[in-house]
Amino acid sequence: MIRKVFAKSAFFLRIIFVVGLFLILIIGGFTYRHIYNLTDSTKQVVSTYKVNVELEKVISYLKDAENGHRNYILTKDTTYLEPYLSAREKVNESFAELKEIANHGENQEENLKVLSKYIDALFTNFSETSTFISGDETLSEAFKTNFFEEKIIMDSIRQKVNEMIDFENSLLKKHQEQYQSNLKFTPLFLYLVLLITLVLIIISYYKINVDFKNIRLINSQLLIFKEAAVQLEIIGKHGNWVWHIDKEKYTFSDNLYRVLGEKPGSFVPTFENFISFVHPEDKEKFAKDVEDMMKNEDLPFIYYRIVQKDGTIKHIKGYGKLLINNEGEKRIVGNITDISDEIERFLEIEERNLELEKNNAELSEFNYVASHDLQEPLRKIQTFISRLEEKEAKNLSSFGSQYLERIKVSATRMRLLIDDLLQFSRTNKPDKEFVLTNLNELLENAKQDVTETILEKKAIITNDVLPTVLVIPFQVHQLFLNLLSNSLKYSKTAEAPVIKIEYSLINSKDDHNLINVSKSNYHKITFSDNGIGFEQQYAEQIFELFNRLHNKQEYSGTGVGLSICKKIIDNHNGVITAQGEPQVGSIFKIYLPE
Amino acid sequence: MPNDYINIILADDDEDDRLFFTDAFDELKMNTKVSTFNDGVELMAYLNSDDAILPNVLFLDLNMPLKNGIECLNEIKANNKMSDIAIAIYSTSASEEDIEETFVLGANIYIKKPSSFKQLKKVLSEVVSMNWQYHTNGLNKDNFLMRL
Amino acid sequence: MKLFIKFDFNTICKKVLETKLEELDIKYKILAFGEVELLERVPSETYETLNNALNEYGIEIVENQKSILVQKIKDAIIEMVFNEEATVNVKSSVYLSEKLEHSYGYLSNLFSEVTYTSIENFIIIQKIEYTKQLLLTTDLSLTEIAFKLNYSSVAHLSTQFKNATGITPSAFQRIISKRRSIAQQKN
Repeated sequence: MIRKVFAKSAFFLRIIFVVGLFLILIIGGFTYRHIYNLTDSTKQVVSTYKVNVELEKVISYLKDAENGHRNYILTKDTTYLEPYLSAREKVNESFAELKEIANHGENQEENLKVLSKYIDALFTNFSETSTFISGDETLSEAFKTNFFEEKIIMDSIRQKVNEMIDFENSLLKKHQEQYQSNLKFTPLFLYLVLLITLVLIIISYYKINVDFKNIRLINSQLLIFKEAAVQLEIIGKHGNWVWHIDKEKYTFSDNLYRVLGEKPGSFVPTFENFISFVHPEDKEKFAKDVEDMMKNEDLPFIYYRIVQKDGTIKHIKGYGKLLINNEGEKRIVGNITDISDEIERFLEIEERNLELEKNNAELSEFNYVASHDLQEPLRKIQTFISRLEEKEAKNLSSFGSQYLERIKVSATRMRLLIDDLLQFSRTNKPDKEFVLTNLNELLENAKQDVTETILEKKAIITNDVLPTVLVIPFQVHQLFLNLLSNSLKYSKTAEAPVIKIEYSLINSKDDHNLINVSKSNYHKITFSDNGIGFEQQYAEQIFELFNRLHNKQEYSGTGVGLSICKKIIDNHNGVITAQGEPQVGSIFKIYLPE
Repeated sequence: MPNDYINIILADDDEDDRLFFTDAFDELKMNTKVSTFNDGVELMAYLNSDDAILPNVLFLDLNMPLKNGIECLNEIKANNKMSDIAIAIYSTSASEEDIEETFVLGANIYIKKPSSFKQLKKVLSEVVSMNWQYHTNGLNKDNFLMRL
Repeated sequence: MKLFIKFDFNTICKKVLETKLEELDIKYKILAFGEVELLERVPSETYETLNNALNEYGIEIVENQKSILVQKIKDAIIEMVFNEEATVNVKSSVYLSEKLEHSYGYLSNLFSEVTYTSIENFIIIQKIEYTKQLLLTTDLSLTEIAFKLNYSSVAHLSTQFKNATGITPSAFQRIISKRRSIAQQKN
C-alpha cells in the first residue's frame, strides 16, 4: 500500500520536473527572440536615420553646388566654382554611402537610381550653363531655358529625396508599430509561464513534503516493527541469519546467539562457527542440507539438534530463502527456531496417547474377558440350581425352597447384567465393517427377535419403509432390537403397546438436534411408543451406563440397553435423542448420516 | 431302523459341562451313544485313528486349551473322510459376527450353552432330532444350519 | 454218506443280506449282528421288495410294517410340499388320512414314535428345506417364495424359518454365499 503511494508520487514528481523544464525552455526561447527583435529594431532606426542624413547631405551638397554655380554666373569669378566642384565629389561620396546603407527593398533602389539620374542631369545642366557664361550669352534664351531646367531638376531632386525620406520614415513607423505590438504580449506571456512554473514548483514542494512526512511515519513504524521482531525472536525463540552470497559474509541476529546459548555478538558470524554448535550426530546431514541449499538457492524445512556450551541439547527447525535485491545482490535469508518445547510436548502427548490407547484396549479387553468368563461359572450356578430344583425340591424345607428361589432370581439378574455388559463391550470394539444395508431387513429381523413379547403383549408395530444405508449391520440390528425391547418392556400394563417407526430424509439445517454435525443430509428414524414414558429432565441420563429410571422389581432393565444404542449411534457418527412424558410415552429419534 | 443308535461326541475341557451333557442324554433316552474328550488334541487324535467310529454329531466347545474348537473345525472340514459329521459349536457365548463366522467355516449348529438343565435337554434333543431328519430324509446337509 | 456240516448262522445271514441288498442296488453297511444301516433313503416299494425277499430266508425286518407306513407318510408329505398344486386349500391332516387310509391320530402317534418328531414339525422342516433350496437356486425373493409355498405372509415364513433354524433367511443366504466364495478361493 505504502509502496504504491510512493511509486505514484515519484511518477507525479517526474512529470512535474519534465513540464517545468519544458516551460523554462519556452521562456528562454521567447526572451531570446524578444531581445533579437529589439536589436533588429534599433538597427532599423539607425539605418533609417543614416539614410535620411545622407539624403539631407546630398541635398545640402547640391544646394552648395547650385549656390557656387550661381555665384560663378553672377560674378564670373571662378573661385566660386570651387564649392561647386567639391560638392560634386561629396555628392558622389554620399551617394555611394547611400547605396550601401539604403537597402530597404527594390523600391528604394529604384528611387536611388532615379535620384542618381536626376543628379547627373543636374550636373550636366550646370556644365551647359557654364558654357553659356563663358560665351557671355547670359541673357540668351537658351541660357534662360537651361537655368529654368536647372530649377525643375532641382525641384525634382528635392521631391525625390522627400519621397525617399517619407518612405524610410513610413517604413520605420511600420516597423516600430509591429515591434510595439510584439512588446505588448511578450511580458504577459512570460509572466503567465513564470506563474505556471511557480505553481508547479509549489505543488512539487507540497508533494515532496507529504512524501517526506509519510516516509518519516513509515520509518518510525519500521522501527517499531524492528523492535517487535526482535522481541518476537526472543519470545518465539527464533534466530535470524542473512548470508550475503556475493560478499561471502554472514550476519546473525542477536537472538540467534541466544538460541545457541551465547551472548549476542560473542563470536564472528560464520558458517564454521555456527556448525560447531550442531549436534555431532546431525552434523553430516546438516552439512548436506546446507550444500543442497547452496545448489538450489532455497532451503526446505530442516531439523537438527544443537549442543550449547553447557551441554544442553536443543531441537532446531530451520528455513531459508534466496532474495535478490534491485542491484542484483544475492542473499539467503533464513530463520532458525528452537522447537525443543514443542517436541518435548509432542513426545509427552504421544506417550500419553499410547498410554491411553493401551488403557482403553486393556479396559475393553478386561470388560470383555470379565463378562465373558464370568458367564461360565454363573451359567453353571444356574444349571446346578435348576438341577437342585428338579431333583431335590422335595427334600428342602420351605425356607430352603424360598432361599433357592431368591438365589435363582439373583443369578438370573446377574446373567442379564453380564449379558448386557458383554454386549456393550462388543459395541466398543473398533474396526467394524460398514456395509450398504437395507434397514427394513434389519428392522424385520429385530422384530422377529422379539416376536414372543409382541405376541404376549399384543403389541402393534407399524413402520415406514426405511432406506438402504451404509452401516455396521449387526450393530444397527442391535440398535433396533434394543429400542423395540425398551418400548415393549416399559409399556403400560393396562394398554397394548403401540410402537410407531417413522422415517424421513432431512437436511441438518432443519433440525435443532443436528447442530455441529458434519454432513448435510441425515436419515431420521423415529421410534415412538405409548408406554410409561419418563420425565424429560432425565432425557440425557437414560443413555448413561447402568442408569435406570425405574425400580428393578417392576421393570427388569439393567440400564445398559440404551447406552448400547448411544454407543452404536456414536460409532455411526449419528445422533440419538430421547423425549418423554410420564404415562404418555417416549420418542427416540435417531439420525444417521446419509 | 430303531436298532440304530445315534453316535455323539463332545469335546469340552470343563468337567461340569461334560457331566451336564452326559446326564442330559441319559435322561433323554434317545438311543444315543455319547463319548466325551477333554480337549481338541484328544479329540483329533481319536478321529484320526484308524478304528475311530465317526460320530453323527460332534459337539465342540470353542474355548479349549491346546487346540480350540475353531482349529478342530478347520481340521475336520479339510478332511474328506469326516465331511459327513454334523458339527455343533457348543459355547458359552459369542457375538453375532463370531457366530456367523463359525457357520461360514462349516459349522452346522451353534448352541449357546443354556443356563438350566431343562433347557439343555430340550436343546440337545432338538439337535439330535433335526440331525436325524437330515440323516434319514436325504436332506441337503450343506444347508443344515441351526442356532439354539 | 454223511456230511457233517459246521455252519455259522451269522455268516449265512450276512451273505444273504449282502446278496439281496446288492440285487436291489441299495447302499448299506452291516453294523453288528442283526443291524444293517441303509446309507440312503429307500423308496417304500423297494423296501417292500427287500422285506419279501428276506422273508423267504426266514429273515424278518423288525417292525417293518410301522416303518413302511412312516415312510409312506413322509413320501406323501414331501409330495405335498414340493408339488404346490396338491396342497391348495387342503389341510395336511385331511390330505394324509385320506391318502393313507388311516385316522390322522393313528398316523401322528406312529410318526412321532418312530421319527423323534411330529408330522407337523416334519412338514415345517420340509417347507423350510424347500425354502432354502429356492433361496439358493433361484432368483425368487422371500416374498415370492412365501406366496409359492402358501404362507399367509412373508413375515410368517420368515418367523417360521427363524424358529426352525435359529437364523434369519437373509443370514442363511449370507452364510452360504460366503462359504461358496471361500470354497471358490480355495479351488
